[in-house]
Amino acid sequence: MDKQKKNTKENTKENLTVDQVGESFEVEFLPRRVLLWRSFKKHKLGILSMWILAFFYLIVIFADFLSPMSPYKQNASIGFAAPSKIYWKHKGEWIGPYIFPLETARDPITYQRSFYETSELRMVKGVGTNGSPFVYTLGENNVTALVAQVKIDEIGVGATGEGLFKTTTKDWNMVRIEKEGIFKEPLVNVSVEKDTLDLYRSNPRYVKTLQQIGDLAQIKTVESLQKISVKYADGKTESISLIALEEYDFKVYPIKWFVRSWEYKLFGFIPSNLHLFGVDSPAVLYLFGGDNYGRDIYTRILFGGRTSLSVGLIGILITFTIGLFLGGISGYYGGWADEILMRLTEILISIPTLYLLISLRAILPPDLPSTTTYLMVVVILSFIGWPGMSRVIRGMVLSLKQKEFVEAAKAMGYPSLRIIWRHIIPNTATYIIVAASLSIPGYILGEAGLSFLGFGIREPQSSWGLMLAQAQDLVALRNYTWLLLPGLFLFIAILAFNLFGDALRDAFDPRSLGH
Amino acid sequence: MLKFIIRRLILSIPVLLGVSILSFLIISAAPGNFLDVFRLDPSISRETVQRLEREFGFDKDPFTQYLTWLFQVVKGNWGYSFQFKQPVFNLIWQRLGATLLLSLTTLVFSWAIGIPLGIYAALKQYSFKDQLSSVIAFLGLSIPSFFFSLLFLYFASRTRLFPIGGMLSVNSSQMNTWELIVDYLWHVIGPAVTLGFSGLAGIMRQMRGQFLDQLHMDYVEFAKAKGMPRKVVFYKHALRNAINPLITIFGYSLSGLLGGAVLTETVFGWPGMGRLVIQALTAQDLYLVMASLMVSSLMLIIGNLAADILLALVDPRIRYRFH
Repeated sequence: MDKQKKNTKENTKENLTVDQVGESFEVEFLPRRVLLWRSFKKHKLGILSMWILAFFYLIVIFADFLSPMSPYKQNASIGFAAPSKIYWKHKGEWIGPYIFPLETARDPITYQRSFYETSELRMVKGVGTNGSPFVYTLGENNVTALVAQVKIDEIGVGATGEGLFKTTTKDWNMVRIEKEGIFKEPLVNVSVEKDTLDLYRSNPRYVKTLQQIGDLAQIKTVESLQKISVKYADGKTESISLIALEEYDFKVYPIKWFVRSWEYKLFGFIPSNLHLFGVDSPAVLYLFGGDNYGRDIYTRILFGGRTSLSVGLIGILITFTIGLFLGGISGYYGGWADEILMRLTEILISIPTLYLLISLRAILPPDLPSTTTYLMVVVILSFIGWPGMSRVIRGMVLSLKQKEFVEAAKAMGYPSLRIIWRHIIPNTATYIIVAASLSIPGYILGEAGLSFLGFGIREPQSSWGLMLAQAQDLVALRNYTWLLLPGLFLFIAILAFNLFGDALRDAFDPRSLGH
Repeated sequence: MLKFIIRRLILSIPVLLGVSILSFLIISAAPGNFLDVFRLDPSISRETVQRLEREFGFDKDPFTQYLTWLFQVVKGNWGYSFQFKQPVFNLIWQRLGATLLLSLTTLVFSWAIGIPLGIYAALKQYSFKDQLSSVIAFLGLSIPSFFFSLLFLYFASRTRLFPIGGMLSVNSSQMNTWELIVDYLWHVIGPAVTLGFSGLAGIMRQMRGQFLDQLHMDYVEFAKAKGMPRKVVFYKHALRNAINPLITIFGYSLSGLLGGAVLTETVFGWPGMGRLVIQALTAQDLYLVMASLMVSSLMLIIGNLAADILLALVDPRIRYRFH
């Protein structure tokens, strides 16, 4: 392939057109960075990855502003909530995005949790038992709440007829959305669980009823609206018995833009409480679902990205500083320093990475504060990375040492350290940049792996690997697929870094610059 | 050749010694003395603790301690795991088998598929299938193995096509050899695929690149011009030259598998070394940690040695350099 490239280049030099003269002129005289950028721009995937990475870092920096709730805020009662259902139309009318608050119910037999949407009554209009019509709206005339009083009849159905077991009354502050039919006509729920039936059969309170209806086959529950109690701001309550409800409406919880809610510090020092979007409580907006404590996965992915994406950059910075320093010295001076260093790197390289990682973590006390844990993880990752880097730098310095410009610098009497730092190291720059972008995924993966195993970042701090650890529970994995989302982000970030690094490597290849 | 192998073997001894010193340093640096746990455990008698103290020389200075420990290790006494209540040596021996089995299966999987795919992609360069395989390779290289494992587990638990962990079924003790092999293969698909996929992708890309480089060499052009059958040119001449660099990768991939298996083993509940280390570290079972560090490094060194020997076998230039 390269052969072909060269051939075409030679051909162009033989019969030059005006354009090609311009091109060869540019190759000769344009600054190097312009040429680099030009050849990098040819890699479409590399450009795309660059934008994706820029986007990732941007959303991670503004994580607080973009998050509707704090990453540590728990809603344990609705843990593992599915991503919120977002509605756009209300009663056939487009009113913009809104959601409803969630509540949980636990199946008495399987203990499987299920979620249902609830809401408050916002408006009721109807005719009372005294014959006069009424209209109540939340927020108007000091009305603070509209509570539905519901009568629940449990009726046994037997071989010879039906009989009432018991009647209870309940106040519904929050009405289950699926049960809205109750305002039109009584709602019949038929339940036929065997255990419940047996319970009723053996209950002495129902002997009389049971004798009337014969063998109990099933129990039905009939829910019907009895009264509406209206609560006022001054604490008074008015109870209205009603003949018919003509119209009613639920309160909706719109997704609001630029809301003020939980406090944070932008960039770590500007206090603020402005957020891009949010909803009023008790509604909780889960864009990507919730985790086991009911924390918002979307928010935690943003905050976890801070950890995961910064580990790579800081880790690479430390590794390169150590690698350049040690590799430079051992390559330039050689001798016993070189010998010791190379033996040491050999030993470190001989221990499988992850074993070394977790063993090093084991040295440290397990209960460190979260910032220290983060620093420790970065330091450990850099400790793993420097031997390989030092060896490569050493090799490059060894070969550069023989070059004329180094000889010249020596002849001019420059001190050795200056020659290393100002003459030799800058010549390894392209390699260093490419190697850096290609080895960042290793750091991100290392951190994710450590946290996944429970040796890295700890709760309540967040990192993509740590979040994935929740998906290790098979039951959770099966039922709450959204727990895998952090992995997707991890995957995209690593893919982008790989593609970006690949494009950089191609762009920095002297052949692609026309040299 | 023998001289080369012996030379390489001797060179790896100081590395192993270095690893042992490092492991010992890690153990010494860990908070607390690891016999503290024994002292607190009422089921272990005072005599046992004192005997262990003598055996591992805790009353002496660190240097003597290290020498004593090294001596014990050479003798085969690798210490006692308080968590599993058995000697560390036996424990590691049991788990090493599972890890090696998984690594070997993964290796076979990734190489048996990666090499032919790479050759195919090189021969059909720029075709749709070539580009498709490049895309898949890039995805494979970028997907974190434990995320892939979780995805696989999700798939397995949804479809019930594959077991959701372990190495053998519960009733494996009643199976005959063939059933055992089938049962093992059924269980190993998940871990091997998720662990070996990135390796497969890497091998495929390397093979494709190397083969393409060779195909553009002058000697290939010449052989073609001479009228040599295509098959002979490709598979006898170009392929043989292309495969050399891959042999170096072979050794490193073996060692990489041992290290990377920790995560896969944890996700799939594979009874291997990786999980043992995790359990040992969470329980601060430090003899076990030390021994597994040593053994895993030994495996890595053996892997590199195997790579070097293989390379020397196929490439005479390396053999002669050492004469």
